[in-house]
Amino acid sequence: MASHRVGEPAALSDSGAPHHHHHHIPYAVPYMLHHPTNSNFINQEGPAFDFGELEEAIILQGVKINNDDKKQHLYTAIRPAATLDMFPSWPMRFHQHTTRGSSKSGEESTDSGSAVNTLSNTPESPSDHRQPPPPPPQMDAAGGIDSPRMSGSQSQPPAKPAPEKTLRRLAQNREAARKSRLRKKAYVQQLESSRIRLAQLEQDLQRARSQGLFLGGGGAASGSISSGGAIFDMEYSRWLDDDHRHISELRTALQAHLSDGDLRVIVDGYIAHYDEVFSLKGAAAKSDVFHLITGMWTTPAERCFLWMGGFRPSDLIKMLIPQLDPLTEQQFMGICSLQHSSQQAEEALSQGLDQLQQSLVDTIANGSVNDSMHHMAIALGKLANLEGFVRQADNLRQQTLHQLHRLLTIRQAARCFLVIGEYYGRLRALSSLWASRPRESMIAEDNSCQTTSDLQMVQASQNQFSNF
Amino acid sequence: MHYQTGSGSCKVPLKRSVATDPMERIERMAAAHAVVIFSDSTCCMCHTAKRLFCSLGVSPVVYEIDQDPRGEDLSKALLRLHGGAAPVPTVFIGGKLVGAIDSVMASHINGSLVRLLKEAGALWL
Repeated sequence: MASHRVGEPAALSDSGAPHHHHHHIPYAVPYMLHHPTNSNFINQEGPAFDFGELEEAIILQGVKINNDDKKQHLYTAIRPAATLDMFPSWPMRFHQHTTRGSSKSGEESTDSGSAVNTLSNTPESPSDHRQPPPPPPQMDAAGGIDSPRMSGSQSQPPAKPAPEKTLRRLAQNREAARKSRLRKKAYVQQLESSRIRLAQLEQDLQRARSQGLFLGGGGAASGSISSGGAIFDMEYSRWLDDDHRHISELRTALQAHLSDGDLRVIVDGYIAHYDEVFSLKGAAAKSDVFHLITGMWTTPAERCFLWMGGFRPSDLIKMLIPQLDPLTEQQFMGICSLQHSSQQAEEALSQGLDQLQQSLVDTIANGSVNDSMHHMAIALGKLANLEGFVRQADNLRQQTLHQLHRLLTIRQAARCFLVIGEYYGRLRALSSLWASRPRESMIAEDNSCQTTSDLQMVQASQNQFSNF
Repeated sequence: MHYQTGSGSCKVPLKRSVATDPMERIERMAAAHAVVIFSDSTCCMCHTAKRLFCSLGVSPVVYEIDQDPRGEDLSKALLRLHGGAAPVPTVFIGGKLVGAIDSVMASHINGSLVRLLKEAGALWL
């Protein structure tokens, strides 16, 4: 599997473009931002960086690398995430190479330079290892590589490489590269889930902070989240972790081209997962309907699109239709009809809620001084109806998801739910990015430091978005 | 939308039999028209149910049980009938029970509501 994205050997000998590799970091967010026009939401597997292949290419084509600059670029080009210096599979030798023989030509990557070693056909290199050799332009990169090592094994001056040894070493390299890739994948997945958890924590922190301010300033009675709301938030954050797991499962299942039977199990699991959140919300509506209806349990970006304590089903379907291509005529009609029915139901619920609000306004406005407690009691009674509306809205959401499941084939349904999961994941990620963006108010207001502040801001935003 | 208050103002000249059993009354009232909604004039969810049927182009017949002298009995009977959270709104189509608002919503989403309405002759096309 020769990865075509691996810097072609010719490119390596050019002075650089080490920034190429930033495209290949398989983080969810930068991937999205790099492919904004890609209508297929399904994330491809992150590109694998095949070091075994790279080494073969280098050996076979004899890359000419003979000065520090190019070596520097090579170093960063081969290490895809220069900032993430934590892949223990990289041999320490590599670091030693870069610090020693600073004028040595092309110190290469990968786990074993010894293969290159054996290809060396410059007899004078063992003796040169202490002094910088005048690098002849035609000198094979292989000749400069690992020559310090050769000095340690002077008992065997290899004149010509044994092909079998070379092949074996290359195979070992591939194996090691593969393991390294797997480790990297696992690490990145850990990072992604931690990122989501971090977003939740930030949200909680902000909420706590704002409520702390409210308490300090207004001195009003209850500024904190009710126990019902707090319990729901906890359960919801656990649900989000589950969601992330389900999404990954869906993604791998689709890419692995599992049988329909296996896919069905996974899709049914995802539907049950959504049923669970609706039941959680139902319990929360009983204890604290305001927490749900004001969207304090969601992220700010989701809150922007909030309708009656959650997402608007017809909007979700509108988003899905282009993502679900190809659809049969019948399926397309069915889904359009579903969107239409959902809109009618949403409209009816909204009108009912409007009437409730109007009735509440009348009650509160018309309470006389004498009658105030009575009117408050009536108002309280009317408020209790809010729970019914949030429950019906959730019911509508649940029914819509079930109907989608019915209308689509199992593979389409899997893709559909993957799209849904990824869509809301991105909304949440957007919220946390927005929350952590650098803000001018946080910089010192002193005018004399204006330039430094600006610099700091620019730097901060660069650091923020360096992944993109 | 046609509102019926009390048990006497039906358009069909019936012999005014006093059916005291609320369940029988409900069945009778439900069978009388294609789409029947048992409602409460102060209930906002009932407003939702009425708006939904109007948006479908249907004219339901509405019984406001809070204006019925024996509304309490009707309310208890309705609750027993579909075991939902609230007695109203309760919807009947073609004399058959569809249920409370959540059943109505569910059947609209899965497409069966329109089919029922057509079968009962409340919708054409």
